[in-house]
Amino acid sequence: MNKSSKEIAGYTNWRKKLILTIIWGSFSIVVINFICLNFGVVSVHPKEIFSLLWGSSHDKTNSLIIWQLRFPRIIMATLTGIALSTVGGAFQGILRNPLADPYILGVSAGAALGACTAIFLQYATGYFLTPYLPLFALTGAMLSIYLVYMTAKVRYRLPLEGLLLSGVTVTFLFSAIITILIALSEKGLHSMVFWLMGDLSTANWNKITIVTFPVIVGCLIFFFFSLDLNALSLGEEEALHLGVNIKKLRLRIFIIGSIIIASVVSFTGLIGFVGLVVPHIARLLVGPDHRVMLPTSALLGAIFLPLCDTLARTIIAPSEIPIGAITALIGAPVFIHLLRRKSTKNGL
Amino acid sequence: MVCNDNVLKVDNLDFSYEENHKKTLSNINFSVSRGKFLGIIGPNGSGKTTLLKIISGILKPSQGKITVFGKELADLSIEKIAQFTSVVPQETSVIFDFKVKEVVFMGRLPFISRINGETIEDYEISREAMERAKCLSLAEKNIHEISGGEKQRVFIAKALAQTPQLLLLDEFTSHLDINYKHEVVKFFKKVLENDKIIIVSAFHDLNLASILSNRLILLNEGKIEKIGTPQEVINEDIFEKVYGTRPTIINHPTLHIPQVII
Repeated sequence: MNKSSKEIAGYTNWRKKLILTIIWGSFSIVVINFICLNFGVVSVHPKEIFSLLWGSSHDKTNSLIIWQLRFPRIIMATLTGIALSTVGGAFQGILRNPLADPYILGVSAGAALGACTAIFLQYATGYFLTPYLPLFALTGAMLSIYLVYMTAKVRYRLPLEGLLLSGVTVTFLFSAIITILIALSEKGLHSMVFWLMGDLSTANWNKITIVTFPVIVGCLIFFFFSLDLNALSLGEEEALHLGVNIKKLRLRIFIIGSIIIASVVSFTGLIGFVGLVVPHIARLLVGPDHRVMLPTSALLGAIFLPLCDTLARTIIAPSEIPIGAITALIGAPVFIHLLRRKSTKNGL
Repeated sequence: MVCNDNVLKVDNLDFSYEENHKKTLSNINFSVSRGKFLGIIGPNGSGKTTLLKIISGILKPSQGKITVFGKELADLSIEKIAQFTSVVPQETSVIFDFKVKEVVFMGRLPFISRINGETIEDYEISREAMERAKCLSLAEKNIHEISGGEKQRVFIAKALAQTPQLLLLDEFTSHLDINYKHEVVKFFKKVLENDKIIIVSAFHDLNLASILSNRLILLNEGKIEKIGTPQEVINEDIFEKVYGTRPTIINHPTLHIPQVII
């Protein structure tokens, strides 16, 4: 296992790349989180923030601002960034489609329908359903996944085109129902629209506790599918020839991905663009090997989304810009820049 | 009779894509033993690729039995099959910009534990496969930046990295230049000699099929029209029946095997 035999083999160690990524990523996350804590309507001195985090300051107002408002929101954004970017990357892999995002298979539309149904019923029946909203969203996401899967399945396999088309169709169908719910529910309108635009302002520690497990465990499980996703990049039949059970792989990534997305989305609403673009940026930085690409994606998402959210809540404070608008405004130019840089390097 | 553990045997194989549909393959019977090269020829749509897909376990036969090295194929999972069978595909569509060496390394996947990861040996086997298939110089290149012929060599290397006992080739010569075709002939003869594996290949190029194969199967509309040595199969009368035109067949001046000219 000495170094020279590695050189003879002509392969560099992906583990080194991964460890470097994780070190850089974790360091950046801590720094970014701290920077984001400094921004807000009320200014709190960085020294004070330090002592609040350390527990050596007991200023009640500041403690409330930092511990109950800003910090949970930043952590929620971090988790959401991890979830959307990792699932986006994995979905691009199983669908063999670089334009796929976590929402393309109808997961989000299902979750949205579930959430809107909960809001609708709450106002229509008077039962306080807000605590069950994630459950509704998860049920909706599962329903959409099931519908998409059953529509796309043919006798021998799960064809890609069919999967994408049924994903898009189910999304349209569910969106139509959501539109009707919005039209019918005058009182719930505000909550529904806010939910659909993506909103991190309601983040609190309870929600974070619920979201953390599916996001972290789900994304870690994805990591063990990396080699299979690599094989699938060569083609469906190629993957079969390499002993990858594509149908099982797709089904697993579907289900796990939808649970991750449903759990996040039911608290944050639909935040777009992150899941599409971050995996591409990761690929441009570290290459397409999913073993490195997926963790890089996760870390980039964890850096990118808190930054966007901080901008969203501070640019026109005390009002807020929907975070989805910020993700696209920042993400698109960065993405275009990276793509251009890459194509000039390759002389294309 | 050869020992059963060393043969690929296909018995009474039938296949159709849809139930009650026209059979794509019917009544296919043959066997190949280790160290032999079996060529499959026939017009477009005669079922060559389908037959390869059944042998590689991607398609399940409607009827019949396939035995590989003493085990029935139907009892094996694709994970198991991948540990002794590898395939060089006709066309490839790689997404994402993988490097050549990464593509070749994927040949090791059937042997890599998803928990423990690969070993140095896996890298060494991949490197050796690239050396053998003459694509080591391409190792650092992006798979999308190399030519069709080079890509085919990369996929041959990937198939070799899978250390197959049964190697299936699907019209692998379609993008190869004449100089590499010549090399490929030497190359596969050497692979057969050294590794004592079974190679089954579908061919569009009849002359190359004749040069490489120990035995040939001529498929016509899903049935075996003729099976035998190249001398027995490549015959004006049989070809006129199958292809609809009468070819001219000459003897190769140095190799003494039949070659088809227009």
